[in-house]
Amino acid sequence: MSVLELKSEIQRRAEEEASKILENARKEAEKLLAEANSKVEALRKEKTRSLMRSLETEERAELAISRMDQKGMILQAKSQWAGRVFEEAGKRLAEMAEKGGSDYRELLSKLILEGILKIKGNKFIAEVDSKDVDAIKKELKPILDRAAKIRNEKIELEIKALSTDSMGGIILSTEDMTRYYNNTLEARLSSARQNLAGEIHKIMFKAGE
Amino acid sequence: MSIEIRELQELIVHEKEAEQKVRKAREQAEGILKKAREEAESTVQAAESDPHQMKSREAKKEEIARKKAEIEKEYEQKIATLNKVAEENFEKAVAFVTKEILKVES
Repeated sequence: MSVLELKSEIQRRAEEEASKILENARKEAEKLLAEANSKVEALRKEKTRSLMRSLETEERAELAISRMDQKGMILQAKSQWAGRVFEEAGKRLAEMAEKGGSDYRELLSKLILEGILKIKGNKFIAEVDSKDVDAIKKELKPILDRAAKIRNEKIELEIKALSTDSMGGIILSTEDMTRYYNNTLEARLSSARQNLAGEIHKIMFKAGE
Repeated sequence: MSIEIRELQELIVHEKEAEQKVRKAREQAEGILKKAREEAESTVQAAESDPHQMKSREAKKEEIARKKAEIEKEYEQKIATLNKVAEENFEKAVAFVTKEILKVES
């Protein structure tokens, strides 16, 4: 092999090696980018899936809270309406008691008789608002007669003025004060608030549900 | 075959030039790989802070706000209906409560 041929061979081998090195590098670079793209694609898919799951959960929770808040407002409105009903009923009862007409006097008699039916004993004290004391005393005989007839025994009843202000009605207690029955209009109104809420809702909102 | 010193020297120079060429190719190859790695890293990083995700989040927030407004409107309507019906039935309810309170067992 001549020197010229040797030179040519050296040149060829160097070019071949350089070309191989560059080709390998390009292939490696392509592979790296392809892997990166594939990773990005997978990452994007996973992130999108995860994001959508999270956003949907967020949406469900936020809308559920919103509905609950609104339902709460409906309940609040219903409760306010029920409150107004009892408030108005209380006003009307107070007016009735204030006027002290025959209806109210009859009511007081009935309230006393109901108390006598509810608690044991035959000697009672009926406490009424001071303005009602005289009216009740006038009705005392018929009350005692009816009470005796119902209980089948002689009934004694003392009428006293309540020491506190009352809307009306009576507090009946046994003479020894061991048992009592609160039949004031306030107590009856309070009991009605507890017992009639369901009925009131039916009457008030049956077409509004 | 006999090679003269001068020719041998020329061959050595030639060999060195060839080595230089290969070295240069290696440097170029390193450059190509470095650039590819940087590009790959940057692509992955860009995907991690994907603006598309931000857009999806914003869109969903707007959708939720719209649905919430619809719910509020729906319930405002319900409350308005409820108030109307309650107003109509108010007197009846008061009469019922008053009657029940005055109902006495005797």
